[in-house]
Amino acid sequence: MLRFLLTRTMTMVFTAFCLTIIVFFLTNLAPNLEKIAKSEAGSRISDAEVESWLARNGYGDPMIHRYGQWLGVVPGWVIEEEDRIRGRCIRPGMAPEDAPTFCGILQGDWGRSTVFRQDVSQVIARGLNLTAILMFWVMVVMVPGALLVGVLAGMREGSRTDRTLSTVSIVMTATPEYVSGVVFITVFASSAVGLRWFNGSATSAMDQITFVNFTLPVLTIALYGLGYIARMTRASMTEVMTAQYIRTARLKGVSFPTIVTRHALRNALIAPFTVIMLQFPWLLNGVVIVETLFNYKGFGWTLVEAAGNNDIELLLGVSVVSVFVVLVTQLISDIGYVFLNPRIRIS
Amino acid sequence: MTYHDRTGTAIHPGARLYAREVQEGKLSRREFLVRSTALGVSASAAYGLIGLNAPVAAQETPVSGGTLRMAMETRGQKDPRTWDWSELANFGRGWLEYLVEYNADGSLRGMLLESWEANDDATQYTLKVRPGVTWNNGDAFTSADVAHNITRWCDSTVEGNSMAARMGTLVDPDTGVARDGAIEIVDDMTVVLTLTEPDITIIVGMADYPAAVVHQSYDDTDPTLNPIGTGPYLPEQNDVGIRQVLVRNEDHTWWGTEVYGGPYLDRIVYIDYGTDPAAVLAGAESGEIDATYQTTGDFVDIFNGLGWVQSEAVTASTVCIRFNQDSEPYTDVRVRNAIQLAVDNNVVLELGYNDLGVVAENHHVCPIHPEYAELPPLEVDPAAAEAALDEAGHGDTEFELISVDDAWQSSSCDAVAAQMRDAGMTVRRTVLPGSTFWNDWTKYPFSATEWNMRPLGVQVLNLAYRSGVAWNETAFANAEFDALLSQANSIADADERRVIMADIQRIMQDEGVVIQPYWRSLYRHTTANVHGAEKHPTFEHHHYKWWMDA
Repeated sequence: MLRFLLTRTMTMVFTAFCLTIIVFFLTNLAPNLEKIAKSEAGSRISDAEVESWLARNGYGDPMIHRYGQWLGVVPGWVIEEEDRIRGRCIRPGMAPEDAPTFCGILQGDWGRSTVFRQDVSQVIARGLNLTAILMFWVMVVMVPGALLVGVLAGMREGSRTDRTLSTVSIVMTATPEYVSGVVFITVFASSAVGLRWFNGSATSAMDQITFVNFTLPVLTIALYGLGYIARMTRASMTEVMTAQYIRTARLKGVSFPTIVTRHALRNALIAPFTVIMLQFPWLLNGVVIVETLFNYKGFGWTLVEAAGNNDIELLLGVSVVSVFVVLVTQLISDIGYVFLNPRIRIS
Repeated sequence: MTYHDRTGTAIHPGARLYAREVQEGKLSRREFLVRSTALGVSASAAYGLIGLNAPVAAQETPVSGGTLRMAMETRGQKDPRTWDWSELANFGRGWLEYLVEYNADGSLRGMLLESWEANDDATQYTLKVRPGVTWNNGDAFTSADVAHNITRWCDSTVEGNSMAARMGTLVDPDTGVARDGAIEIVDDMTVVLTLTEPDITIIVGMADYPAAVVHQSYDDTDPTLNPIGTGPYLPEQNDVGIRQVLVRNEDHTWWGTEVYGGPYLDRIVYIDYGTDPAAVLAGAESGEIDATYQTTGDFVDIFNGLGWVQSEAVTASTVCIRFNQDSEPYTDVRVRNAIQLAVDNNVVLELGYNDLGVVAENHHVCPIHPEYAELPPLEVDPAAAEAALDEAGHGDTEFELISVDDAWQSSSCDAVAAQMRDAGMTVRRTVLPGSTFWNDWTKYPFSATEWNMRPLGVQVLNLAYRSGVAWNETAFANAEFDALLSQANSIADADERRVIMADIQRIMQDEGVVIQPYWRSLYRHTTANVHGAEKHPTFEHHHYKWWMDA
C-alpha cells in the first residue's frame, strides 16, 4: 500500500514537471513575451520599448535559466537601476537586502500573476475556493440524482420507467453546457421569456450564495454529468440484476425492494464510483465554460484569464494544481475501489 | 463694453472674438465654450458673453449616502500617464484628480487649478492653483505639485507615456523631456508655461484621462498601493477582473465640497462582467448592478424595455476600420481606396450600430468639431472598386479583417466585410476575444480601433495620424499632412483653421487611411434612483456628482 502511494506521488511529481516545462516553453515564445510587455507597459508601445521592457523585467535570461528561477534552483534575477534595485524575489514594499536569493516553487513561492497583480498562490486559492463551493453543490445535486435515476432505470430493464429515464439521461448528456447554460438563462432568467425565477449571473454568489443566484450554474454542470453517471449506473444495475444470486434471492421469496437495496445496490455501485471520481478532473474543465458564462470568478475563469493574457507564472501554477487534482482523485478512486470490491488488491 | 469674469480679471480678447463669431453663426456654442474656457474664461462668464445664462443642472436636492454598483471592466493599475483605458482612470478618479475637468456640455472648468489665462497668441499660459486644496496625507497642494506633474507628463522616454504627445509644445525634442524654462514656478500658487509655438489644445489635454495628478512621492508603480491623492474617495478593494471598490475617505476634507458640492455616495463598486454585453444584461436583470458603464447597439432598446433610465451623450467617438500601411497589401494606396470605394458608410451605421449615430466621411473630423470643413460627399461604387483592385494586382487577394468580439465593433466590421464581398473581394473575418485581441492589436494589418472623442478636431489627428506618434496604428506617415496639421494647431480662429482643415481632411480621404463609418452616440442606463451619473462624452466618471435616492 505504501509503495503504491509512493509510486503514485512520484508519477504526480513527474507529470507536473513535464507539464510545467511544456507550459513554460509555450508561454515564453517571443510573441507571447511581447504580449506581456504590451499588457504591462501599454498596448501601444513600440518594438524597441518591448525589448527594453522585457530586459528590465527579468525576461532577458535564457529560457532554461528562467525555468530554474521558477523552480527555485537558480537565484532569482536582480536588476540595479540608478535609483533602485528590482528583482524577482523583491516584492513590492520589501527592502532589497531582505529578499531571499532563491524564490521558486521549491521555496513555496508560486510567483506573481501579471494579470491580477497578486501572488499566484492567492489568486489560485481564491479561484479554487470559489470553484470548490460550486463543485460541492454540483456533487450534492448530481450524485444522488444520478444514482437514483440509474438504479430506477436499471431495476427492470426495458420497462416503461427504464425507457423514459434513459431517454431523459441521454438528452442531458447530449446537451453540452454552453447550450444548456444559454437555454437556461434565456428561459429562466431573462425578461425575454419573462419567468425570471433565477439569476442569469452568479456574480453575487461570490459573496453570498442564494437559491436564486446559484441554481442555474449548478444545474448546468450537474445535468450534463447526471445523465452520464445515470447511464453508467443503469448499465451496471441491469447487469447485476441478471446475476444468478439475484435470481436465487427471488426464488427464495425475498421481496423486490429488499433485493434491490440489500443485494444489488452495493455491487451495482462499483462502476459508477469510478465514473464519479473521474468527474472531478472533468468538472475542472466543465467549470471553465460555466464560470465564464455565469461570470463566477473561480478556477476555470482564472485559467481563461491567465491563458488569454499569457500570465506565465499563473498558468504554471494552474497546471500544477490541475495535475494534483486529477491524480489525487484517481488515487482516491483506486483506493475506494478496493473497499467496494474485495476481489481487487493493491500490491 | 468691458467684460470681467467672477474673479474680476479682464476677459481674454480671444474669447470676445469667439463670442462675435457665435453671434455671426460661424462658431457653434459647444466650440465657443471649449475654446473660451480654455483661454481662462469661467464657464458662466463664457455663457454671459453670448447672452445666455449658465445652465443649472440639479433640479433635486442630492441625498448623501448609499452604494452605487456599476458594471465596468476592472483592469490592472499602472502609472497614470501610461493609462490606455478610460476604465483605469475611472477607478483612479476616486483619489486622483485633474487640473481641469471637461464637462458634457463641452465646457472646461477648473479643478485643482482655480483659473488659467493665455496670452494673446496662445504661446504662454498662466496657471493659478486652487487655494485650500490638500493631499489626503495632509500636505498642501501647491504650484510645485503642478509643475512636478507637468514635468512627468512631458517625459517621452517613459514607455507608453501618451501625455508627452499632448504636452508636445513643452517637450525638448532632443532630450525627450520638458524643455528648460518651459515650466516655471512663479510663486506658491502660480505656474507659467511657455510653449514653443501657439497651442490651443494644451489645457484641454490636461483634462484628458491619463492626466491624473499624483503626489511627488509617487514612484510610478501601481497607484493603489499607496493611494495618496487629493480626491474624496479611497480604493478599498482592487481585484483585477472581478471588482474594484471606492469608499469615501472620512479622514480627508475634500476641497470640492465647498466649491462644487458632493461627494454624496459612501461607496462605489465596479463589477467586471467581461466584454460581453449579454453578461452585463444578466447582471442587471439579477439586480447585481445599478448602472451600466456603457450600453451599446441592440442593448439600448433592451435596457429601455427593462424600465431603466437612459442617458445619452452626443459625441465625436467612433470606430476606425483602419489599414496598416506598413503591411501588404495595404502599402498600396490603390488597394486602400478601392476598399473605401466599395463600402457605403450609411450601411455600416445601420447594420453595425443600429443607426445610433451620424454618418462620417473617412477623415476623422466630426461636424461637431469647430474646424470641420465640408467636403463633397463620398462616392460608393463597388464595380469601380473591383476594377481598381484588379488594376493594382490584388483582384484575388484575400483580405483578413480582424476585430474584437465586442458586439458593435464586430458587427460594423461584418457590415464592411459584407460590402467588400458584394464588390467581388475575398474577405476573411476573424473575431478575437478581448484578452487576445488587445495584446496584438496594433500589429493587425486590417482591423478596427475604437476612438473616444476629443473636444477639438485637430486633437485626434495629432494623436493618431501624425507620423511616428505613439498611437498611430495606421502607420500613416505623410510630411505634407504633418506640416499642415502643425499649422492648424497654431491657428486659434476656427474659420482660418477650416481652410487648412479642408486640405487635411482631403489628404486623409485621398490616402485611404481609414474607413471611419460613423459617429456614435453613447448611452448609459441606470436604475431610476441613480442621479447625476449621466453618460459623459469622454467616458469620465465624476464621482462627486453621483447620488442615489434611498
